[in-house]
Amino acid sequence: MRPGHATDRRISRRDLVAGGGTAATLAAARALAPALFAGCSLGVPHRQPTVTLGLLHSQTGPLAISASSLRDIELHACERINAAGGLLGRTLVARAPDPRSRPERFATVAARLLDEGAVALFGCWTSSARKAVIPIVEEFQKLLFYAVQYEGNESSKYCIYGGMVPNQQMLPALDWLLGPAGGNRRKPFFVGSDYVYPRTATFIASKYLATKDVKPVGAAYRPLGDRDFGGVVKKIIASGADCVVNTVNGDSNMALFAALAAAKVEPTKVPVISTSIAEDELRSLLPEQVTGHYAVSSYFQSIDTPTNRDWIRGFRNEFGRDRVTGDPMEPDWCLFHLWTRAVEKAGSFETDAVRQAFRDGLEFAGPGGTVTLDPKTQHTTKWCRIGRIRPDRQFEIVHEQGPIDPDPYPQVAFPGWSVDWTKDGVTRGPEVAIDGDV
Amino acid sequence: MFEPENWYWLYDIPQGRLTLLFIGAFVGFYWIGSILVRPLLRQFVKRTPGSNDIVGYVLSCFCVFYGLLLGLIAVTAYQNVADAGANVTHEAAALAALYEDVSRYPEPHAQNLRWLLRDYARYVIRYAWPLQQRGIIPEEGTIRADAFHDRLLEFEPETPAQEIIHAEALRQLNEFLEARQMRLFSVKSSLPASMWWVMILGAVFNIFLCWMFDMRFITQLILGGILAAYLGTMIHLIFDMNQPFRGDVSISAEPFEALYARMNED
Repeated sequence: MRPGHATDRRISRRDLVAGGGTAATLAAARALAPALFAGCSLGVPHRQPTVTLGLLHSQTGPLAISASSLRDIELHACERINAAGGLLGRTLVARAPDPRSRPERFATVAARLLDEGAVALFGCWTSSARKAVIPIVEEFQKLLFYAVQYEGNESSKYCIYGGMVPNQQMLPALDWLLGPAGGNRRKPFFVGSDYVYPRTATFIASKYLATKDVKPVGAAYRPLGDRDFGGVVKKIIASGADCVVNTVNGDSNMALFAALAAAKVEPTKVPVISTSIAEDELRSLLPEQVTGHYAVSSYFQSIDTPTNRDWIRGFRNEFGRDRVTGDPMEPDWCLFHLWTRAVEKAGSFETDAVRQAFRDGLEFAGPGGTVTLDPKTQHTTKWCRIGRIRPDRQFEIVHEQGPIDPDPYPQVAFPGWSVDWTKDGVTRGPEVAIDGDV
Repeated sequence: MFEPENWYWLYDIPQGRLTLLFIGAFVGFYWIGSILVRPLLRQFVKRTPGSNDIVGYVLSCFCVFYGLLLGLIAVTAYQNVADAGANVTHEAAALAALYEDVSRYPEPHAQNLRWLLRDYARYVIRYAWPLQQRGIIPEEGTIRADAFHDRLLEFEPETPAQEIIHAEALRQLNEFLEARQMRLFSVKSSLPASMWWVMILGAVFNIFLCWMFDMRFITQLILGGILAAYLGTMIHLIFDMNQPFRGDVSISAEPFEALYARMNED
């Protein structure tokens, strides 16, 4: 090598471009690599993690008319919570398959939802559906939130009950009927759908009436969804009943009231007081057939408070201006918010943590008044309201009392039975045979 | 590799950035190859007189076939989007007609049926569309359609006029269900993986041929870069139209939104 050779070698423009290009490309690749592989710095919107809730409401079959509104109010609650940033930083995803009004499908659908990761279930309408789902939630150790009024005589560690039990609904309604405001009735006739709620509620009512020296004049049950109530109405008339206590569920109410109207059963002489008719069911009933009869409930749309008006407005803005609210939509709304408060308090969606949060006592100011979750029974306090059906398919509230503490085991019907989930759970008394006959 | 779900994340990138990403990827690939691979490839043709003419002839022949392929694929993808859009419009129109038909029913059937249709429209807008945009076939719309179907079949006409309206509603329902099914089928419709392989390989061959040209380095970077950028743009266009409900250029829920607004005015 000649001296000075190295210094003679000149860098060409081509070398410069090649070197510069390589350096620039490598630098660009290095800068873009994290974005390319992570997909996060390219304007990809950040997706909040989700948590799944299972909604178990019949959307077809005879119970759809009532249960679909519960699905809607739960979706409304989820949407509002998500719009406000979610729950514990997660977006609520509601999955709502259709159990088709069949109790056995409720169990299958519940198992599938929990298997797919639902943290809790909201739903069921009939007691037979709830009783089919409870073993499933107990197996998965998840909570079922049940918002419909029911017969009591049940308590599960994994079920939170938001509906009225007989001591909050049926028994105050009977007191009202027996009193001067209700017309001092003494001959009640019980008519219901043929499943556990109507039969147990009638059983409890009969026991309660016995303490008042009143004996029901009859009871009749028709299969769920049945449309033939001609025979039942004949029985009512033949019994000389001075009032009818109606625990019929779903579409069958249309046939019942049509048969009553056809037989000219007047509400002034033989009023019907229904436990499962709300504003939603009234839509399907002809006003001329139901006006003047009564319903007993914890909530009516006609409650005139700012909270209720706001709630109705919010629901209608989302689901249509002609939509109505009623019981059990309002208890369902309250139950949903009690759950969200429990989750926030627990800082977790885990069942044990949520139950512990409930145990410390939670309340929510709902559209129908403040409700408190009783940690002993896992039921909520309730207002009992009696409404007279108006021609515009709304209720005129004629009586209200409350808040009434829940008692799923009224001693008049279930002596020795009680529940306290803050201690040992259910204390069992002697077995009680329930047939619903009077 | 070219299964659609492997690339769904790309659809979440805003349109402008995605275009730049495609162009950047193709141009970057070309430039990196120009630096690393070009010297090797040029060895094959360097000592052949008129090598650029040969490479140019092969490239132009190849480009004709490849251009035809890209064009046909782009038309197919566009047709796919247009068909899916037509299905959506048809479904919304059938739903609107059904809504009008059931409004003529006696109460309470009319209100119950209208609510169910409104519920369906709301579900499509609020829940089904975001799922479709993620390439997921929404399931719960079927439940709502079934609920309406069941409720409609419960109605028993009592007058000849009601019989005519009921028959028309049932006919309209069938049209609606057919259009709805077509929409669901199109959620996952996309070009087959083999077509993507052919397209990508074609683009790579194009770039390989460009690397074989013997010319000034800077000229090669610019000319080849332009070709690569256009290839990236074309493939991005096809990618964007590949999924009718995904990406910025996708079918919107506008027909349903307009219908839902009208339903709420009633």
